[in-house]
Amino acid sequence: MLVHRSTKRGAFAVAIAAVAALAVSALPAQAFSPRSETGVTSSTIKLGITVPLTGAAAPGYNKVPFGMKAYFDYVNDNGGVNGRKIQLVIKDDQYSPILAKSVTNDLILKDKVFALVGTLGTANNEATTKFVNDKGVPRLFVNTGFSGFANTKKYPTTYPLFPSYFMEAKAIGGYLADKFAGKKVALIYQDDDFGIDALAGFTQAGTTFVAKIPYASGSQADPTVVGKWITGIVASGADTAVVFGVSTATAAALGGAYKAGLAGKIQWILGSVGADPTTIKTLVPAALPLLNGAIAASFLPAAGDTNDEYVKQFQEINAKYNKGVTFDTNVLVGMNAGMLTVQALRAAGSNLTRAKLMAALSTSGSKFASAGFAPLGWSKTSHVGYNGYWFGRLAADGSQTPVDGAGKYVLYTTDSSTGAVVKSAITRPAMPAKGLPTN
Amino acid sequence: MRKSKALSAFVFLAIGLCLLGLSNYIDELRAYQGAQIGIYVIAISSIILLTGYSGQISLGHGALMAIGGYAAVLSYTYWHLPMLLAFTVGALAAALAGFILGMAAARLSGPYLAGTTLALAVGLPSLANQFHILGGEQGLSFDIGEAPKWISNKTGGDFTQYKWFFWISVLCTLSTLWFIKNLLQSRYGRTWRAVRGNPSAAALSGVNIGKSKVLAFTVSSALAGLGGALLAMLLGLVAPMAFTLTLSFTIVTGAVLAGVSNLAGSIIGAVVLVVIPEVTGALASHLGNSEKITANLPGFITSVLLILTVMFLPNGPQLHKRKKAKTK
Amino acid sequence: MLILDTLFIGLSSGAIYSLMALALVLVWRSTRVVNFAQAGQAILSTYLGYEVMSKTHNYWVSIPFAIIGGALIAAFIDAALMRPLEKRSRQGAVSQIAPVIATLGILGLIRSLTGMIWGNAYVQYTSPLSGKGYMIGHHTIPFSPQNLIIVIGALIVMVIFALIFKFTNLGLALRASSFQPEISRLAGIRVDRIRTIGWAFAGAAGAVAGALVTPTTYLSPNSLDLLLVSGFVAAVIGGLDSLIGAVLGGLLLGVGFAFILQYVGTSVTFSAAFIILMVVLFIRPRGILGSRVGRGDA
Repeated sequence: MLVHRSTKRGAFAVAIAAVAALAVSALPAQAFSPRSETGVTSSTIKLGITVPLTGAAAPGYNKVPFGMKAYFDYVNDNGGVNGRKIQLVIKDDQYSPILAKSVTNDLILKDKVFALVGTLGTANNEATTKFVNDKGVPRLFVNTGFSGFANTKKYPTTYPLFPSYFMEAKAIGGYLADKFAGKKVALIYQDDDFGIDALAGFTQAGTTFVAKIPYASGSQADPTVVGKWITGIVASGADTAVVFGVSTATAAALGGAYKAGLAGKIQWILGSVGADPTTIKTLVPAALPLLNGAIAASFLPAAGDTNDEYVKQFQEINAKYNKGVTFDTNVLVGMNAGMLTVQALRAAGSNLTRAKLMAALSTSGSKFASAGFAPLGWSKTSHVGYNGYWFGRLAADGSQTPVDGAGKYVLYTTDSSTGAVVKSAITRPAMPAKGLPTN
Repeated sequence: MRKSKALSAFVFLAIGLCLLGLSNYIDELRAYQGAQIGIYVIAISSIILLTGYSGQISLGHGALMAIGGYAAVLSYTYWHLPMLLAFTVGALAAALAGFILGMAAARLSGPYLAGTTLALAVGLPSLANQFHILGGEQGLSFDIGEAPKWISNKTGGDFTQYKWFFWISVLCTLSTLWFIKNLLQSRYGRTWRAVRGNPSAAALSGVNIGKSKVLAFTVSSALAGLGGALLAMLLGLVAPMAFTLTLSFTIVTGAVLAGVSNLAGSIIGAVVLVVIPEVTGALASHLGNSEKITANLPGFITSVLLILTVMFLPNGPQLHKRKKAKTK
Repeated sequence: MLILDTLFIGLSSGAIYSLMALALVLVWRSTRVVNFAQAGQAILSTYLGYEVMSKTHNYWVSIPFAIIGGALIAAFIDAALMRPLEKRSRQGAVSQIAPVIATLGILGLIRSLTGMIWGNAYVQYTSPLSGKGYMIGHHTIPFSPQNLIIVIGALIVMVIFALIFKFTNLGLALRASSFQPEISRLAGIRVDRIRTIGWAFAGAAGAVAGALVTPTTYLSPNSLDLLLVSGFVAAVIGGLDSLIGAVLGGLLLGVGFAFILQYVGTSVTFSAAFIILMVVLFIRPRGILGSRVGRGDA
């Protein structure tokens, strides 16, 4: 009996002590600094981003926030935004919704950020949606292609940037119908929202496949699984294969095909998520012969295309503000999002509020300059960003040239529902001088 | 006996009321973390029961939490059950799974059981991609709404959803702890300890070892299922990514930190699990001077702390001194 | 032809599972600890090999360095961490589970360490061998020279271990001290030291697995994560007490996995291991070659 009572007391004491300790440490250090809007002071704007910095999903994605930060540092050194400097708080969520929710709580409640930018992962963004909505925190340029985020009623403060996987599949379907009509096409896709979104898009575009090969996310690391993909492709008699997967899956498919002696026998068409040549080169150098000649979908210029004014400028910023980091698609994505963020902040004016930021995107966002070739679709009724892709042939050195010839960017644009795929030559807004927006 | 049971019930009630009262003075962030602690207490106690008392190892309780979470969300969404009933469904579903698993596992010992549960932890969550109703990778959303008016009006101030999570978590956690405490002190608990200590002697005195083990597994799974349902409430969704192998490892780690046969320690274990990431994150941003280091420092510090704790406090914080007398 | 292809795929992955299973069984036999840090040791030794490879541009030179590194890391972990731990937690349920948690802690430590030193990025550990499959007639089988080296390497490790265990005094001491440590001490065997040597062998086996399989994919702090689970499952299938069982378990898992994936479909990828495991344990609860006479292991 004595033991039990002391256990109870012990537990009681510990519980109270623990909760009290947490409560006391919660008292805000700066309770009274005058602020007109959360995350904004007369000299700073605080933004937050959550990405996997460590863990299995980290390689590649962990470069995005530092690319973004490098761009913000560059802008800060050149006057900032209406006199304010941008601070970017970067948090690691290890691609887990449990962690994503905790660190996002920290960002919104403890760091008190003005807005979230580039938060990564569908499930992770889903987990934080209610809180973000309730607190009215703008969530810009979520790093995911899940088409659901375009729903302005469910996600009033969320502004996607990338075309959704659904739209990408439609665009690829349109491209296939245009250039590969009559070919036998196989499809490798990830069997979750990422790939199933795409399947719906292909269906919408009317694409038929001789083989549809799903894989469970993460299983591409097992050579047995990859072997199965290749035997499936061979068995179907396909001469063209679309890979709608992450970069490790794309690399595994190319490597597996190389192993099976399929070099030159199959035309590979790669979805944008897994098509960064620099990453694939690292993942499976043996597959380089297969990479050569593969066609990849993209809405940004190739990260190695130094003739592109945006890429050239971003590379310079990277060399100066992100030392030691190799410039690749991930850095490009981060800097591009940074440039758009700066323009949105500028458009919102000196009297900066969250409502004004979102209004600025809706009103003038479609005219912002960015590296993307597709037009931006933000408006009062739509939160969809880029809406199209161009297709380029990859070379073994990682360069990507439009299939119709250097500099000839032909876009396949579409919408996020039943609209057709439209082919057009595009004009991208010219880059502001030195990459510093003046809007 | 009856007197101490009434006393303990009173103590739990008192603690509960104190915590609920405290919730008026803590901010949203701490309310969320408090709710999280409660969930970990339940999950850790499920391991304490299974491993500390019944001597069976499970490295797959994350999968059981997943079952509880999905069952709760599905019954809430499709059968429109009230929240607490949905949680109960979650616990029952996990209990059923635990019963089946326990039956299969009764013949397995130590590492063989560990291996089986490990494979389960890896294999089960991916099932969500197979059946459309389970929502796939992006999961199913689960919004239990705000606190009812008759509660929020009484306390005044801003009754945020996180505060409501805290209330629910406190209610479930204290009820669960009280239930387990009584269970462990009952003849079932004594049977478990007897089997764990000396199976042959227990069998000779008439204990049905298989039955006892299966019971432990079932109850432990029910607890894990409840924990999973509460986790789903906290996250606002269930998704395979939320129930990884890491989750299974985390709650076993919490149980070891608690002192694996020490129920009261589950509170300490849970607090450590929630507080450590905060502390290491803050430390890392001060100490780290390069991206590589800052990103990995929290994991490094956590691992070092874990190793040191297991080395120097393998029996947990030793809340009651009787532990020392047990040393052979 | 499809059957042959599937067999070859399973053979190569099975060889890697066998190596990891061997490492786990070695440690289990001598210490009754399931060493989850095995995957961490393997990745660290692979990174060491990678470093040597980057400096010397010679794959074959890097392998011995990886092996020695793996052995030393393992020996250090046992001597500095696992031995003191064992002394402190001899009783109760804790003695089973605390060491497991300790190895998880070591795994986390090594992972964050590799991240801090080499960054969380993909790098390539290149081998001069081709990744293109051999040809039988006009058909290319999914088995490349690198896969052949994997199988040969695994066989060499197994043969060496078998020879050491059966025909040397060291092997005898290893077997004795894992079976009956008290009596072995009385017979003059330095049980602790022998144990550490056992760990070193295990570390070497893991290093071989990492160095051989990584050129077929990529290297990152998490790239051997899947191997952690498959290696353990393979060891359990084979029976944790038996080294031969580890080899059999690895092959069974590899080949079984390949056939299940081929003929049932990739939807069961992650459940396949569980299914194979349940089937085997249902028939033989202690694994295929696991001993019936336990050493009081609960």
